[in-house]
Amino acid sequence: MTTPLLEVRHLSRSYGRVRAVDDLSFAMARGQITGFVGPNGAGKTTTMRIAATLDIPDGGDVLVDGVSVLVEPRKVRQRIGYMSDQFHPYANLDVLQYLDFFARAHGLRGRRRQQTVRTVASFCGLTGFADRPATGLSKGMGQRLHLAKTLLHDPQLLILDEPAAGLDPRARIEFRALLKELAAAGKTILISSHILPELGETCDSVVVLEKGKRVVAGTIAEIQRSVQHQQAVQLRLLGEVEAAEKFLATQPDVGEVAVDGDRVRFTYAGGDEEMAALLARAIGAGLRITEFGRIEADLEDIFLQTTKGNLQ
Amino acid sequence: MTAEAAPVVAAPIPDRLDLLTRLSDRLNPILVREVQQAVKGRVFVLTVLGALFVNVIIALVVASNYKGGATGGRGAFDAGLATLAPLLLFIVPMQAYQSMQSELRGGMIEQLLMSELRPLRIVAGKLGAAMVQFVLYLSVLSPLLATSYLLRGVDLPTIAVCLSCALVFCVAATSFAIAAALQGMLPAMRPIAWLGMAFGLGSASLGMVGYIGSGQCLRDVGWLLRSSEFGMVTSAVLCGAIAGTALMALVAQAYLAHTFENRSTGFRVFLLLAPPLSFAWVYTFVQASHRDDVVPVATFLLSLLGIVFGIFMVSEQQKLSPRVRAHVPRNAALAACSSIFLPGRDRGMACWIAYFVLLAGLALVLWPATGRGFLNMPQSFARVSTLTLAYAAIYLTLGKWLRGRLPETVVFNHGARFLMPLLVVVGCLLPLLFDVLVIGGVDNWHFGHLLNPFWTIDRAVRDSGAAIRGLVWTLGGGCLLVQLPAMVRGLLEVTAAAAARRAQAATVAPASAVEG
Ligand SMILES: Nc1ncnc2c1ncn2[C@@H]1O[C@H](COP(=O)(O)OP(=O)(O)OP(=O)(O)O)[C@@H](O)[C@H]1O
Ligand SMILES: [Mg+2]
Repeated sequence: MTTPLLEVRHLSRSYGRVRAVDDLSFAMARGQITGFVGPNGAGKTTTMRIAATLDIPDGGDVLVDGVSVLVEPRKVRQRIGYMSDQFHPYANLDVLQYLDFFARAHGLRGRRRQQTVRTVASFCGLTGFADRPATGLSKGMGQRLHLAKTLLHDPQLLILDEPAAGLDPRARIEFRALLKELAAAGKTILISSHILPELGETCDSVVVLEKGKRVVAGTIAEIQRSVQHQQAVQLRLLGEVEAAEKFLATQPDVGEVAVDGDRVRFTYAGGDEEMAALLARAIGAGLRITEFGRIEADLEDIFLQTTKGNLQ
Repeated sequence: MTAEAAPVVAAPIPDRLDLLTRLSDRLNPILVREVQQAVKGRVFVLTVLGALFVNVIIALVVASNYKGGATGGRGAFDAGLATLAPLLLFIVPMQAYQSMQSELRGGMIEQLLMSELRPLRIVAGKLGAAMVQFVLYLSVLSPLLATSYLLRGVDLPTIAVCLSCALVFCVAATSFAIAAALQGMLPAMRPIAWLGMAFGLGSASLGMVGYIGSGQCLRDVGWLLRSSEFGMVTSAVLCGAIAGTALMALVAQAYLAHTFENRSTGFRVFLLLAPPLSFAWVYTFVQASHRDDVVPVATFLLSLLGIVFGIFMVSEQQKLSPRVRAHVPRNAALAACSSIFLPGRDRGMACWIAYFVLLAGLALVLWPATGRGFLNMPQSFARVSTLTLAYAAIYLTLGKWLRGRLPETVVFNHGARFLMPLLVVVGCLLPLLFDVLVIGGVDNWHFGHLLNPFWTIDRAVRDSGAAIRGLVWTLGGGCLLVQLPAMVRGLLEVTAAAAARRAQAATVAPASAVEG
């Protein structure tokens, strides 16, 4: 049996009266990318900081590779790379010197250090910026440097707190590609973000938090299934919207029907076979259909459906 | 990404790295980084240029006033040393403070702590960077110092003593600055730390400039070099500075360590080493004729040290952290013996008592046979010290009880440490207020003033104060007795943790044997 790489057990942390994290539990298997989602103040950063041994919970524990952050913080630190939501590079150091410093801090020596710094710099696309001052980088390059620093000691688990915040679309796409490469290289990644379509594309699973509590957790497909009790179908047609509405009302397994411009949406309880037959009947009835398909709930829908918009 | 590969990265790594790279591998990473930063920074260039400028000015002034003889050389040396003093006692520590502060502010320190660097190594790196600056400033001013030697104003031993002292003071001031900067981890402490440090270092360097500028420094060093007390004074300065630096480094690492890390043992070992090392110094470096004075003074100072440490020890959180619990010695006897060194206020109280038993034992054995003066008349010294201790026990017990009412977080440890001295102030003021408001004036000592340690001790040491003495001793002893169950609880917590570790080892071992 393989133990999960990250296991959060009944974690609680309060700041005065604010319960930033409230009896939170979830686990992450090795090699997975897990999205950590929640409204502002949901407790994502707090949870990540505790997992990174930078904060102390009031109750509960976090195990990284079976090692408790409370009992062996140093061992945990060797296993994780934590990219905080803030990046303040040192003044008067260039990019390569900055990476070189952290490589030294991680105990890398001689050729191995130089090799690691170059590999990581080129992996993160920093090669052309090696002699730029670390404080003079654009937001996107800064985040790359921040990520590069996190990768120097080859950690198993990456904890990334809003790494894509403030990046332009191109930089985001490039960053996403980096993450996918990291996952392909076997890293386990916990990533928090407010840019949900992004997460939906990169993540295997998500944990949705609200007011410090877990709302849902699981793979995106699982959550989609649990959120959508009945599948929704949408069809688009040339004119004859009312005719389509009338037609659907007479069909078996069709639930609520809603019209939106040239689109008609309805809930459908039948299986794939019945759906194919329904389409055939609709065409037979003379409806000129240009699009016909199921609507999948994306991460944004899941987020809106599961959280109540309670901020703290 | 379309950027071209920069030559630095594109160039192949040579098979054999150059000497500088190999050398820098052995150095503390913080030191390497600070030097890299300094070389690129503006402050560095400005300071070096400034020091060079001062160099030239002094040289010109000395040259224009030079009338032969030794005074010119002395003047040049004094001026050089006076220039060096603020650089070493103010600029260098202040830079260490600034760099630590900026690291704290940007959350960079957390990134550092996530690496393999241990807190003590970070502090050592900062001290190393200060040393590099020291060497640098010294080399900038060295032409001036060399000139003063060539003008026959000062001899080599004097230069050596002055520069060694400068180095020692610079290290001590820097470690103080680093410790002060780390107080900034608690935002409420930031302004206090800054004010304390700027005031402390500012007045120290101003005082030093005055002392050197007046020529007194060279006169004193000259006297010292000739006198028979050279060994005693230099070893005292050196040991004091080393102890101060060690203590500040401990403070700094305590702030940097993970909250659940054991931050007490270092301090407690420091405390328990202080009496034997101090007495060893007394019997090695102090001439027999001076011991009559030095032993009582040392004992008194060590008692004060114990009381101050006591405030810190009894205001810790009560229980062992999960991390410390998982690392107590497995052996029951060893665990019990290490108990007083482990964190927790109950064990802190036990450590405090152990310290004073040790101190009293050493003082009794090593007390000089002959006695002069007030402090080394055994009877009065015994009275003053036991009364002081009784009061310390009373107030520490009270403070510990108060700490127990506060939440068990680190912030409240610090809170309790501020509260305890305040408690003494309140204890002194309350009866005085009562006198003024109820009796109408402060006339005489009465039992209400038992809360006031200073006045009461003054009363109780007299031969007529036997009753008061008895009362204070009884109260102090009573307080310690009341602490007994808590101290036993503290010990039991450690032995229980040791037992749990043994049990865990026993369950893990057969399991792995089965798997194997
Ligand atoms: N150091 C602190 N002191 C006081 N309150 C805090 C502290 N850190 C976090 N909080 C509170 O805890 C709650 C959770 O904060 P956290 O930063 O974990 O949320 P988050 O999910 O990361 O939010 P965001 O999406 O805005 O980054 C918030 O209400 C916040 O105000
Ligand atoms: Mg956050």
